[in-house]
Amino acid sequence: MITLGIDLGSRKVKIMLMEDKKIINKFMVNTMAFYRDYCSYDGKIMVDLKKLNIDKVDKAVSTGYGRNNIDIKLFKPITEIKAHVYGAIYSTGLKDFVLLDVGGQDVKVIMVEKGIVTDLELNEKCAASCGRYLENMANVLEVPLLDMFNFSDDPVELNSTCAVFSESELIGKIAEGYSLEKLCAGVNFSLYKRLKPLLSKFKSETLLLSGGASKNSALIRYLKKDYEKVVVIDDAQYNGAYGCCIYGKNFCQ
Amino acid sequence: MKKIGITTTVPIEILIAAGYEVVDLNNIFIMSNKYAGLIEKAERDGFPSSSCAFKKGVYGAAMDNDFKEIVGVTEGDCSNSKALEEVFRMKGIKVYPFAYPSNHKLSDLKNSLDHFMNMFKVSLGEVEQVRIRLNKIRNLVKKIDELTYIDNKATALENHIYQISCSDFNGNDHNFQDELRNKIKEIKSRKTIEKKLRLAYIGTPPMTSDIYDFVEKFNSRIVYNEVQREFSFPRGINYKNIYEQYYDYTYPYDIEFRIQEIKKQIKQRKIDGVINYTQAFCYRQIEHIIIKESLDVPILNVEGDKLNVLDARTKLRIEAFLDMLIDRK
Repeated sequence: MITLGIDLGSRKVKIMLMEDKKIINKFMVNTMAFYRDYCSYDGKIMVDLKKLNIDKVDKAVSTGYGRNNIDIKLFKPITEIKAHVYGAIYSTGLKDFVLLDVGGQDVKVIMVEKGIVTDLELNEKCAASCGRYLENMANVLEVPLLDMFNFSDDPVELNSTCAVFSESELIGKIAEGYSLEKLCAGVNFSLYKRLKPLLSKFKSETLLLSGGASKNSALIRYLKKDYEKVVVIDDAQYNGAYGCCIYGKNFCQ
Repeated sequence: MKKIGITTTVPIEILIAAGYEVVDLNNIFIMSNKYAGLIEKAERDGFPSSSCAFKKGVYGAAMDNDFKEIVGVTEGDCSNSKALEEVFRMKGIKVYPFAYPSNHKLSDLKNSLDHFMNMFKVSLGEVEQVRIRLNKIRNLVKKIDELTYIDNKATALENHIYQISCSDFNGNDHNFQDELRNKIKEIKSRKTIEKKLRLAYIGTPPMTSDIYDFVEKFNSRIVYNEVQREFSFPRGINYKNIYEQYYDYTYPYDIEFRIQEIKKQIKQRKIDGVINYTQAFCYRQIEHIIIKESLDVPILNVEGDKLNVLDARTKLRIEAFLDMLIDRK
Protein backbone atom coordinates (compact mmCIF):
# COMPACT_ATOMS: atom_id res chain seq x y z
CA MET A 1 0.00 0.00 0.00
CA ILE A 2 1.38 3.39 -0.99
CA THR A 3 0.56 6.43 1.12
CA LEU A 4 1.19 9.99 0.02
CA GLY A 5 1.69 12.71 2.62
CA ILE A 6 1.79 16.39 1.68
CA ASP A 7 2.60 19.20 4.09
CA LEU A 8 1.69 22.54 2.52
CA GLY A 9 3.95 25.00 4.30
CA SER A 10 4.21 28.74 3.73
CA ARG A 11 7.66 28.46 2.12
CA LYS A 12 7.94 24.84 0.99
CA VAL A 13 5.59 22.02 0.14
CA LYS A 14 6.96 18.78 1.55
CA ILE A 15 5.97 15.59 -0.24
CA MET A 16 6.58 12.06 1.01
CA LEU A 17 5.65 8.62 -0.29
CA MET A 18 5.55 5.60 1.97
CA GLU A 19 5.14 1.98 0.99
CA ASP A 20 4.00 0.02 4.03
CA LYS A 21 6.47 1.26 6.66
CA LYS A 22 9.23 2.34 4.30
CA ILE A 23 9.75 5.84 2.92
CA ILE A 24 10.23 5.36 -0.83
CA ASN A 25 10.46 8.97 -1.94
CA LYS A 26 10.52 12.47 -0.51
CA PHE A 27 11.07 15.90 -2.00
CA MET A 28 10.30 19.56 -1.54
CA VAL A 29 8.84 22.10 -3.92
CA ASN A 30 8.72 25.85 -3.34
CA THR A 31 5.17 26.74 -2.33
CA MET A 32 4.74 29.25 -5.16
CA ALA A 33 6.03 26.77 -7.74
CA PHE A 34 3.83 24.01 -6.33
CA TYR A 35 0.61 25.93 -6.87
CA ARG A 36 1.77 27.38 -10.20
CA ASP A 37 3.30 24.31 -11.82
CA TYR A 38 1.69 21.28 -10.22
CA CYS A 39 -1.86 22.29 -9.47
CA SER A 40 -4.96 23.26 -11.41
CA TYR A 41 -8.09 24.88 -10.12
CA ASP A 42 -11.57 23.54 -10.63
CA GLY A 43 -13.62 24.74 -7.67
CA LYS A 44 -11.04 22.98 -5.55
CA ILE A 45 -7.31 22.86 -6.11
CA MET A 46 -6.39 19.64 -7.92
CA VAL A 47 -2.87 18.30 -7.52
CA ASP A 48 -1.43 16.91 -10.74
CA LEU A 49 0.32 13.84 -9.41
CA LYS A 50 1.67 12.89 -12.82
CA LYS A 51 3.61 16.14 -13.03
CA LEU A 52 5.07 15.31 -9.62
CA ASN A 53 6.10 11.91 -11.03
CA ILE A 54 3.83 10.08 -8.64
CA ASP A 55 2.07 7.12 -10.26
CA LYS A 56 0.12 5.02 -7.90
CA VAL A 57 -1.27 6.17 -4.59
CA ASP A 58 -3.66 4.22 -2.36
CA LYS A 59 -4.15 6.85 0.30
CA ALA A 60 -3.36 10.55 0.39
CA VAL A 61 -3.30 12.79 3.43
CA SER A 62 -2.59 16.51 3.51
CA THR A 63 -1.82 19.05 6.17
CA GLY A 64 -0.71 22.66 6.41
CA TYR A 65 -2.37 25.95 5.60
CA GLY A 66 -3.74 24.79 2.30
CA ARG A 67 -5.08 21.45 3.47
CA ASN A 68 -8.71 22.36 3.09
CA ASN A 69 -8.23 23.72 -0.43
CA ILE A 70 -6.73 20.59 -1.88
CA ASP A 71 -8.85 18.17 -3.92
CA ILE A 72 -10.74 16.50 -1.11
CA LYS A 73 -11.85 13.62 -3.25
CA LEU A 74 -8.32 12.31 -3.10
CA PHE A 75 -6.86 13.82 0.05
CA LYS A 76 -7.89 13.43 3.64
CA PRO A 77 -7.00 16.71 5.39
CA ILE A 78 -5.69 16.61 8.97
CA THR A 79 -4.56 19.40 11.29
CA GLU A 80 -0.91 20.36 11.42
CA ILE A 81 -0.87 19.61 15.13
CA LYS A 82 -1.89 16.02 14.57
CA ALA A 83 0.45 15.56 11.60
CA HIS A 84 3.46 16.84 13.51
CA VAL A 85 2.66 14.85 16.64
CA TYR A 86 2.26 11.58 14.73
CA GLY A 87 5.46 12.34 12.86
CA ALA A 88 7.31 12.95 16.12
CA ILE A 89 5.93 9.90 17.94
CA TYR A 90 6.65 7.49 15.12
CA SER A 91 10.10 8.80 14.26
CA THR A 92 11.38 8.88 17.86
CA GLY A 93 9.33 6.18 19.60
CA LEU A 94 8.70 8.67 22.43
CA LYS A 95 5.28 9.31 23.93
CA ASP A 96 5.96 12.05 26.48
CA PHE A 97 7.62 15.20 25.20
CA VAL A 98 7.30 18.82 24.20
CA LEU A 99 7.49 19.33 20.45
CA LEU A 100 8.79 22.63 19.12
CA ASP A 101 8.12 23.12 15.44
CA VAL A 102 9.54 26.29 13.93
CA GLY A 103 8.39 26.70 10.37
CA GLY A 104 8.64 29.44 7.79
CA GLN A 105 5.88 31.56 9.28
CA ASP A 106 4.60 29.78 12.31
CA VAL A 107 5.69 28.24 15.57
CA LYS A 108 3.96 25.41 17.32
CA VAL A 109 4.72 24.19 20.81
CA ILE A 110 2.85 20.99 21.58
CA MET A 111 2.79 19.07 24.83
CA VAL A 112 2.33 15.33 24.35
CA GLU A 113 1.58 13.01 27.26
CA LYS A 114 0.87 9.30 26.89
CA GLY A 115 0.96 9.79 23.13
CA ILE A 116 -1.86 12.36 23.05
CA VAL A 117 -1.81 16.16 22.74
CA THR A 118 -2.63 17.74 26.09
CA ASP A 119 -1.54 21.31 25.53
CA LEU A 120 -0.38 23.59 22.77
CA GLU A 121 0.63 27.10 21.97
CA LEU A 122 0.75 28.66 18.53
CA ASN A 123 2.14 31.99 17.47
CA GLU A 124 -0.52 34.47 16.50
CA LYS A 125 -0.46 37.91 14.92
CA CYS A 126 3.30 37.91 14.38
CA ALA A 127 5.88 35.71 12.69
CA ALA A 128 8.98 37.33 14.21
CA SER A 129 10.07 34.05 15.78
CA CYS A 130 10.04 32.00 12.59
CA GLY A 131 12.20 30.80 9.74
CA ARG A 132 11.38 33.74 7.51
CA TYR A 133 12.87 36.08 10.10
CA LEU A 134 16.13 34.12 10.01
CA GLU A 135 16.19 34.26 6.19
CA ASN A 136 15.77 38.03 6.21
CA MET A 137 18.45 38.53 8.82
CA ALA A 138 20.90 36.27 6.91
CA ASN A 139 20.21 38.40 3.82
CA VAL A 140 21.00 41.58 5.77
CA LEU A 141 24.27 40.02 6.94
CA GLU A 142 24.95 38.66 3.44
CA VAL A 143 25.78 35.19 4.76
CA PRO A 144 24.22 31.85 3.72
CA LEU A 145 21.45 30.88 6.14
CA LEU A 146 23.08 27.60 7.18
CA ASP A 147 26.37 29.37 7.92
CA MET A 148 24.62 31.84 10.18
CA PHE A 149 23.27 28.94 12.27
CA ASN A 150 26.77 27.96 13.42
CA PHE A 151 27.33 30.89 15.77
CA SER A 152 26.11 31.04 19.34
CA ASP A 153 28.90 32.59 21.45
CA ASP A 154 28.81 36.13 22.77
CA PRO A 155 25.71 37.31 20.87
CA VAL A 156 25.03 41.00 20.26
CA GLU A 157 21.91 42.26 21.96
CA LEU A 158 18.88 42.52 19.64
CA ASN A 159 15.77 43.58 21.51
CA SER A 160 13.11 44.52 18.98
CA THR A 161 9.83 42.68 19.16
CA CYS A 162 9.24 43.36 15.49
CA ALA A 163 11.12 41.39 12.83
CA VAL A 164 11.34 44.43 10.54
CA PHE A 165 12.68 46.75 13.25
CA SER A 166 15.18 43.99 14.11
CA GLU A 167 16.72 44.45 10.66
CA SER A 168 17.47 48.13 11.35
CA GLU A 169 18.69 47.23 14.82
CA LEU A 170 21.05 44.69 13.24
CA ILE A 171 22.28 47.26 10.71
CA GLY A 172 23.04 49.56 13.68
CA LYS A 173 25.14 46.79 15.22
CA ILE A 174 26.98 46.23 11.92
CA ALA A 175 27.77 49.96 11.89
CA GLU A 176 29.10 49.72 15.44
CA GLY A 177 31.70 47.27 14.14
CA TYR A 178 30.71 43.99 15.80
CA SER A 179 32.21 40.84 14.28
CA LEU A 180 30.12 38.74 11.90
CA GLU A 181 30.24 35.84 14.39
CA LYS A 182 28.72 37.97 17.15
CA LEU A 183 26.11 39.40 14.78
CA CYS A 184 25.08 35.91 13.62
CA ALA A 185 24.95 34.72 17.23
CA GLY A 186 22.81 37.76 18.05
CA VAL A 187 20.24 36.78 15.43
CA ASN A 188 20.13 33.18 16.67
CA PHE A 189 19.85 34.30 20.28
CA SER A 190 17.03 36.72 19.44
CA LEU A 191 15.07 33.80 17.96
CA TYR A 192 15.67 31.81 21.16
CA LYS A 193 14.50 34.76 23.29
CA ARG A 194 11.26 35.00 21.31
CA LEU A 195 10.60 31.27 21.61
CA LYS A 196 11.31 31.12 25.32
CA PRO A 197 8.03 32.66 26.57
CA LEU A 198 6.11 30.18 24.40
CA LEU A 199 8.14 27.29 25.76
CA SER A 200 8.18 28.30 29.40
CA LYS A 201 4.61 27.07 29.95
CA PHE A 202 5.56 23.53 29.01
CA LYS A 203 7.60 21.53 31.42
CA SER A 204 9.11 18.30 30.18
CA GLU A 205 12.43 16.53 30.30
CA THR A 206 12.48 16.02 26.57
CA LEU A 207 12.19 18.62 23.85
CA LEU A 208 11.78 17.47 20.27
CA LEU A 209 12.54 19.84 17.43
CA SER A 210 11.02 19.79 13.99
CA GLY A 211 10.61 22.22 11.12
CA GLY A 212 13.22 24.12 9.14
CA ALA A 213 14.66 25.98 12.11
CA SER A 214 15.81 22.72 13.68
CA LYS A 215 18.82 23.03 11.39
CA ASN A 216 19.84 25.94 13.59
CA SER A 217 22.60 24.45 15.75
CA ALA A 218 22.98 27.66 17.75
CA LEU A 219 19.32 27.48 18.74
CA ILE A 220 19.80 23.86 19.78
CA ARG A 221 22.77 24.84 21.93
CA TYR A 222 20.66 27.49 23.74
CA LEU A 223 17.75 25.07 24.24
CA LYS A 224 20.03 22.41 25.69
CA LYS A 225 20.50 24.64 28.73
CA ASP A 226 16.76 24.45 29.45
CA TYR A 227 15.99 20.78 28.78
CA GLU A 228 17.63 17.55 29.90
CA LYS A 229 17.29 16.13 26.44
CA VAL A 230 16.92 17.98 23.12
CA VAL A 231 16.25 15.71 20.18
CA VAL A 232 16.18 16.89 16.59
CA ILE A 233 13.78 14.72 14.65
CA ASP A 234 15.32 12.95 11.65
CA ASP A 235 14.36 14.75 8.49
CA ALA A 236 12.86 17.47 10.66
CA GLN A 237 11.48 19.42 7.73
CA TYR A 238 9.52 16.39 6.57
CA ASN A 239 8.00 15.69 9.98
CA GLY A 240 4.53 16.95 8.98
CA ALA A 241 4.54 15.00 5.71
CA TYR A 242 5.75 11.90 7.56
CA GLY A 243 2.92 12.35 10.11
CA CYS A 244 0.47 12.46 7.20
CA CYS A 245 1.83 9.16 5.86
CA ILE A 246 1.62 7.58 9.32
CA TYR A 247 -1.95 8.78 9.72
CA GLY A 248 -2.85 7.44 6.28
CA LYS A 249 -1.29 4.09 6.98
CA ASN A 250 -2.56 3.57 10.54
CA PHE A 251 -5.79 5.47 10.95
CA CYS A 252 -7.31 6.33 7.58
CA GLN A 253 -10.32 4.24 6.66
CA MET B 1 -38.81 28.09 56.95
CA LYS B 2 -35.33 28.97 58.24
CA LYS B 3 -32.72 29.12 55.50
CA ILE B 4 -29.16 27.84 55.86
CA GLY B 5 -26.34 28.12 53.34
CA ILE B 6 -23.78 25.39 52.62
CA THR B 7 -20.46 25.77 50.82
CA THR B 8 -20.03 22.12 49.85
CA THR B 9 -21.87 18.82 50.39
CA VAL B 10 -22.54 18.29 54.10
CA PRO B 11 -24.88 15.86 55.94
CA ILE B 12 -28.02 17.56 54.71
CA GLU B 13 -30.24 15.03 56.53
CA ILE B 14 -29.35 16.69 59.84
CA LEU B 15 -30.19 20.17 58.59
CA ILE B 16 -33.52 19.09 57.08
CA ALA B 17 -34.39 17.22 60.29
CA ALA B 18 -33.69 20.48 62.16
CA GLY B 19 -36.27 22.23 59.97
CA TYR B 20 -34.00 24.13 57.63
CA GLU B 21 -34.32 24.94 53.96
CA VAL B 22 -30.81 24.11 52.74
CA VAL B 23 -29.25 26.14 49.93
CA ASP B 24 -25.92 25.34 48.27
CA LEU B 25 -24.28 28.73 47.78
CA ASN B 26 -22.21 27.32 44.89
CA ASN B 27 -25.41 26.65 42.98
CA ILE B 28 -26.78 30.15 43.59
CA PHE B 29 -23.47 31.60 42.40
CA ILE B 30 -23.09 29.50 39.27
CA MET B 31 -26.73 29.85 38.19
CA SER B 32 -26.80 33.61 38.74
CA ASN B 33 -26.83 35.80 35.65
CA LYS B 34 -24.72 38.26 37.63
CA TYR B 35 -22.12 35.64 38.61
CA ALA B 36 -19.25 37.94 37.57
CA GLY B 37 -20.65 40.68 39.79
CA LEU B 38 -20.62 38.28 42.76
CA ILE B 39 -16.91 37.59 42.20
CA GLU B 40 -16.29 41.29 41.85
CA LYS B 41 -18.07 41.97 45.13
CA ALA B 42 -15.73 39.53 46.89
CA GLU B 43 -12.67 41.16 45.30
CA ARG B 44 -13.88 44.60 46.32
CA ASP B 45 -14.15 43.29 49.88
CA GLY B 46 -10.52 42.15 49.75
CA PHE B 47 -10.43 38.62 48.31
CA PRO B 48 -7.26 38.35 46.18
CA SER B 49 -7.69 38.12 42.42
CA SER B 50 -5.32 35.15 42.65
CA SER B 51 -7.77 33.04 44.63
CA CYS B 52 -10.49 30.53 43.78
CA ALA B 53 -13.42 32.05 41.86
CA PHE B 54 -15.81 29.62 43.57
CA LYS B 55 -14.87 30.87 47.04
CA LYS B 56 -15.40 34.44 45.89
CA GLY B 57 -18.67 33.56 44.19
CA VAL B 58 -19.92 31.76 47.30
CA TYR B 59 -19.03 34.79 49.40
CA GLY B 60 -20.78 37.12 46.96
CA ALA B 61 -23.86 34.88 46.88
CA ALA B 62 -24.07 34.73 50.69
CA MET B 63 -23.81 38.50 51.00
CA ASP B 64 -26.15 39.21 48.12
CA ASN B 65 -28.85 36.92 49.52
CA ASP B 66 -28.41 38.02 53.10
CA PHE B 67 -27.73 34.59 54.63
CA LYS B 68 -27.71 34.57 58.44
CA GLU B 69 -26.59 30.96 58.99
CA ILE B 70 -24.01 28.89 57.12
CA VAL B 71 -22.40 25.49 57.58
CA GLY B 72 -18.62 25.63 57.30
CA VAL B 73 -16.52 22.56 56.56
CA THR B 74 -13.44 22.74 58.77
CA GLU B 75 -11.86 19.46 57.65
CA GLY B 76 -12.15 17.80 54.24
CA ASP B 77 -12.14 21.06 52.31
CA CYS B 78 -9.38 23.53 51.47
CA SER B 79 -7.75 26.14 53.70
CA ASN B 80 -9.35 28.87 51.59
CA SER B 81 -12.74 27.57 52.73
CA LYS B 82 -11.67 27.92 56.33
CA ALA B 83 -10.60 31.51 55.76
CA LEU B 84 -13.89 32.19 53.97
CA GLU B 85 -15.77 30.91 57.04
CA GLU B 86 -13.77 33.27 59.26
CA VAL B 87 -14.81 36.16 57.04
CA PHE B 88 -18.45 35.04 57.29
CA ARG B 89 -18.13 35.06 61.09
CA MET B 90 -16.65 38.55 61.00
CA LYS B 91 -19.65 39.66 58.93
CA GLY B 92 -21.94 38.46 61.72
CA ILE B 93 -23.09 35.24 60.05
CA LYS B 94 -23.53 32.24 62.36
CA VAL B 95 -21.20 29.53 61.09
CA TYR B 96 -21.77 25.90 62.15
CA PRO B 97 -18.58 23.86 61.76
CA PHE B 98 -18.58 20.36 60.33
CA ALA B 99 -15.53 18.13 59.83
CA TYR B 100 -14.86 15.17 57.56
CA PRO B 101 -11.99 13.69 59.63
CA SER B 102 -8.87 13.63 57.49
CA ASN B 103 -7.80 10.25 58.92
CA HIS B 104 -10.95 8.77 57.34
CA LYS B 105 -11.80 6.66 60.40
CA LEU B 106 -15.42 5.62 60.84
CA SER B 107 -15.27 6.17 64.62
CA ASP B 108 -14.04 9.75 64.20
CA LEU B 109 -16.64 10.47 61.54
CA LYS B 110 -19.31 9.12 63.93
CA ASN B 111 -18.14 11.59 66.60
CA SER B 112 -18.23 14.39 64.08
CA LEU B 113 -21.77 13.53 62.92
CA ASP B 114 -23.00 13.08 66.52
CA HIS B 115 -21.55 16.48 67.38
CA PHE B 116 -23.27 18.02 64.37
CA MET B 117 -26.61 16.43 65.39
CA ASN B 118 -26.24 17.79 68.95
CA MET B 119 -25.53 21.23 67.59
CA PHE B 120 -28.89 21.20 65.79
CA LYS B 121 -30.65 19.30 68.59
CA VAL B 122 -31.86 16.43 66.42
CA SER B 123 -31.83 12.70 67.21
CA LEU B 124 -30.36 9.91 65.12
CA GLY B 125 -33.89 8.53 64.63
CA GLU B 126 -35.12 11.81 63.14
CA VAL B 127 -32.07 12.02 60.90
CA GLU B 128 -32.49 8.44 59.69
CA GLN B 129 -36.10 9.16 58.75
CA VAL B 130 -34.97 12.02 56.54
CA ARG B 131 -32.14 9.90 55.13
CA ILE B 132 -34.58 7.19 54.04
CA ARG B 133 -36.71 9.86 52.36
CA LEU B 134 -33.72 11.42 50.60
CA ASN B 135 -32.30 8.10 49.51
CA LYS B 136 -35.44 7.50 47.44
CA ILE B 137 -34.56 10.69 45.57
CA ARG B 138 -30.91 9.66 45.31
CA ASN B 139 -32.12 6.44 43.73
CA LEU B 140 -33.91 8.48 41.07
CA VAL B 141 -30.73 10.45 40.42
CA LYS B 142 -28.84 7.17 40.15
CA LYS B 143 -31.36 6.20 37.49
CA ILE B 144 -30.46 9.38 35.56
CA ASP B 145 -26.79 8.38 35.78
CA GLU B 146 -27.64 4.93 34.40
CA LEU B 147 -29.68 6.53 31.65
CA THR B 148 -26.48 8.41 30.77
CA TYR B 149 -23.90 5.64 30.68
CA ILE B 150 -25.95 2.48 30.13
CA ASP B 151 -28.93 3.58 28.03
CA ASN B 152 -27.07 6.54 26.46
CA LYS B 153 -30.21 8.67 26.54
CA ALA B 154 -29.63 11.34 29.20
CA THR B 155 -27.28 14.14 28.20
CA ALA B 156 -24.00 14.82 30.00
CA LEU B 157 -25.32 18.21 31.08
CA GLU B 158 -28.44 16.62 32.62
CA ASN B 159 -26.21 14.11 34.36
CA HIS B 160 -24.15 16.98 35.75
CA ILE B 161 -27.09 19.13 36.83
CA TYR B 162 -29.22 16.46 38.54
CA GLN B 163 -26.31 14.92 40.42
CA ILE B 164 -24.91 18.25 41.54
CA SER B 165 -28.35 19.28 42.74
CA CYS B 166 -28.16 16.53 45.37
CA SER B 167 -26.06 18.78 47.59
CA ASP B 168 -29.23 20.74 48.49
CA PHE B 169 -32.02 18.98 46.54
CA ASN B 170 -32.74 22.40 45.04
CA GLY B 171 -33.91 23.63 48.44
CA ASN B 172 -37.06 21.45 48.35
CA ASP B 173 -36.73 17.68 48.13
CA HIS B 174 -40.42 17.05 47.40
CA ASN B 175 -40.45 19.28 44.33
CA PHE B 176 -37.09 17.89 43.25
CA GLN B 177 -38.47 14.35 43.47
CA ASP B 178 -41.46 15.24 41.25
CA GLU B 179 -39.17 16.94 38.75
CA LEU B 180 -36.93 13.87 38.61
CA ARG B 181 -39.81 11.46 38.03
CA ASN B 182 -41.06 13.51 35.08
CA LYS B 183 -37.55 13.92 33.71
CA ILE B 184 -36.80 10.19 33.85
CA LYS B 185 -40.03 9.42 32.02
CA GLU B 186 -39.15 11.95 29.33
CA ILE B 187 -35.55 10.75 28.97
CA LYS B 188 -36.65 7.11 28.62
CA SER B 189 -38.77 8.03 25.61
CA ARG B 190 -35.76 9.48 23.76
CA LYS B 191 -33.58 7.88 21.12
CA THR B 192 -30.11 6.82 22.15
CA ILE B 193 -27.24 9.28 21.66
CA GLU B 194 -24.51 7.81 19.51
CA LYS B 195 -20.98 9.13 19.89
CA LYS B 196 -17.71 7.43 19.22
CA LEU B 197 -15.74 8.52 22.30
CA ARG B 198 -16.79 8.02 25.90
CA LEU B 199 -15.23 10.54 28.26
CA ALA B 200 -14.95 10.95 32.00
CA TYR B 201 -15.12 14.34 33.64
CA ILE B 202 -13.31 14.32 36.97
CA GLY B 203 -12.52 17.02 39.50
CA THR B 204 -14.41 20.03 40.76
CA PRO B 205 -17.72 20.68 39.00
CA PRO B 206 -16.99 23.19 36.25
CA MET B 207 -17.36 26.94 36.12
CA THR B 208 -17.68 26.32 32.40
CA SER B 209 -20.65 24.02 31.96
CA ASP B 210 -20.57 24.56 28.17
CA ILE B 211 -17.83 21.90 28.19
CA TYR B 212 -20.52 19.20 27.99
CA ASP B 213 -21.99 20.46 24.73
CA PHE B 214 -18.59 21.45 23.36
CA VAL B 215 -17.09 17.96 23.43
CA GLU B 216 -20.14 16.60 21.60
CA LYS B 217 -19.07 18.53 18.48
CA PHE B 218 -16.17 16.09 18.21
CA ASN B 219 -18.11 12.82 18.25
CA SER B 220 -17.51 12.54 21.99
CA ARG B 221 -19.64 12.41 25.07
CA ILE B 222 -19.07 12.69 28.79
CA VAL B 223 -20.64 9.68 30.51
CA TYR B 224 -19.14 10.05 33.98
CA ASN B 225 -19.16 13.10 36.23
CA GLU B 226 -17.01 12.05 39.13
CA VAL B 227 -17.57 14.58 41.93
CA GLN B 228 -21.15 15.36 40.96
CA ARG B 229 -21.86 11.63 41.25
CA GLU B 230 -20.28 11.60 44.70
CA PHE B 231 -22.68 14.39 45.71
CA SER B 232 -25.54 11.98 44.99
CA PHE B 233 -24.14 9.18 47.21
CA PRO B 234 -24.70 6.37 44.70
CA ARG B 235 -23.14 3.78 47.01
CA GLY B 236 -24.29 5.32 50.27
CA ILE B 237 -27.90 4.52 49.41
CA ASN B 238 -27.32 0.93 50.47
CA TYR B 239 -25.72 1.59 53.83
CA LYS B 240 -27.53 1.00 57.07
CA ASN B 241 -26.90 4.35 58.71
CA ILE B 242 -25.75 7.92 58.10
CA TYR B 243 -22.28 7.16 59.48
CA GLU B 244 -21.52 4.57 56.83
CA GLN B 245 -23.02 6.74 54.12
CA TYR B 246 -20.75 9.71 54.78
CA TYR B 247 -17.80 7.41 55.33
CA ASP B 248 -18.08 6.08 51.78
CA TYR B 249 -17.87 9.49 50.15
CA THR B 250 -14.63 10.11 48.28
CA TYR B 251 -14.41 13.85 47.73
CA PRO B 252 -13.25 15.14 51.14
CA TYR B 253 -10.83 12.32 51.88
CA ASP B 254 -7.42 11.34 50.53
CA ILE B 255 -6.64 11.22 46.82
CA GLU B 256 -5.97 7.46 46.76
CA PHE B 257 -9.50 6.73 47.94
CA ARG B 258 -10.83 8.99 45.16
CA ILE B 259 -8.65 7.35 42.52
CA GLN B 260 -9.84 3.84 43.41
CA GLU B 261 -13.42 4.80 42.63
CA ILE B 262 -12.42 6.69 39.46
CA LYS B 263 -10.57 3.61 38.19
CA LYS B 264 -13.57 1.41 38.88
CA GLN B 265 -15.84 3.75 36.94
CA ILE B 266 -13.40 4.09 34.03
CA LYS B 267 -13.57 0.34 33.60
CA GLN B 268 -17.29 -0.03 34.12
CA ARG B 269 -18.21 2.86 31.83
CA LYS B 270 -15.67 1.95 29.12
CA ILE B 271 -13.98 5.36 29.24
CA ASP B 272 -11.64 6.32 26.38
CA GLY B 273 -10.24 9.52 27.88
CA VAL B 274 -10.45 11.71 30.96
CA ILE B 275 -10.84 15.45 31.42
CA ASN B 276 -9.60 16.54 34.84
CA TYR B 277 -11.05 19.94 35.59
CA THR B 278 -9.30 22.04 38.19
CA GLN B 279 -9.99 25.54 39.35
CA ALA B 280 -7.18 28.09 39.08
CA PHE B 281 -5.32 28.58 42.38
CA CYS B 282 -6.70 25.31 43.81
CA TYR B 283 -4.54 22.71 45.55
CA ARG B 284 -6.25 20.10 43.39
CA GLN B 285 -4.08 21.30 40.50
CA ILE B 286 -1.15 19.73 42.33
CA GLU B 287 -3.11 16.51 42.75
CA HIS B 288 -3.24 16.27 38.95
CA ILE B 289 0.36 14.97 39.16
CA ILE B 290 -0.86 11.92 41.07
CA ILE B 291 -4.03 11.43 39.04
CA LYS B 292 -2.12 11.57 35.74
CA GLU B 293 0.32 8.98 37.01
CA SER B 294 -2.35 6.69 38.42
CA LEU B 295 -4.74 6.43 35.49
CA ASP B 296 -3.78 4.48 32.41
CA VAL B 297 -6.10 6.34 30.02
CA PRO B 298 -5.18 9.61 28.28
CA ILE B 299 -5.95 12.57 30.50
CA LEU B 300 -6.34 16.26 29.80
CA ASN B 301 -6.18 18.88 32.54
CA VAL B 302 -8.53 21.79 31.92
CA GLU B 303 -8.24 24.82 34.14
CA GLY B 304 -11.12 27.17 34.84
CA ASP B 305 -11.03 30.53 36.54
CA LYS B 306 -13.60 33.33 36.54
CA LEU B 307 -15.21 32.87 33.13
CA ASN B 308 -18.32 30.69 32.89
CA VAL B 309 -17.67 29.67 29.27
CA LEU B 310 -14.65 27.91 27.77
CA ASP B 311 -12.03 30.27 26.35
CA ALA B 312 -10.66 29.85 22.81
CA ARG B 313 -7.37 28.33 23.92
CA THR B 314 -9.02 25.69 26.08
CA LYS B 315 -11.36 24.84 23.21
CA LEU B 316 -8.38 24.35 20.91
CA ARG B 317 -6.70 22.11 23.49
CA ILE B 318 -9.80 19.98 23.96
CA GLU B 319 -10.26 19.72 20.19
CA ALA B 320 -6.63 18.61 19.62
CA PHE B 321 -6.90 16.05 22.44
CA LEU B 322 -10.13 14.54 21.12
CA ASP B 323 -8.90 14.67 17.51
CA MET B 324 -6.09 12.25 18.39
CA LEU B 325 -8.10 10.18 20.83
CA ILE B 326 -10.67 9.39 18.18
CA ASP B 327 -7.99 7.92 15.90
CA ARG B 328 -7.54 5.15 18.47
CA LYS B 329 -11.12 3.96 18.13
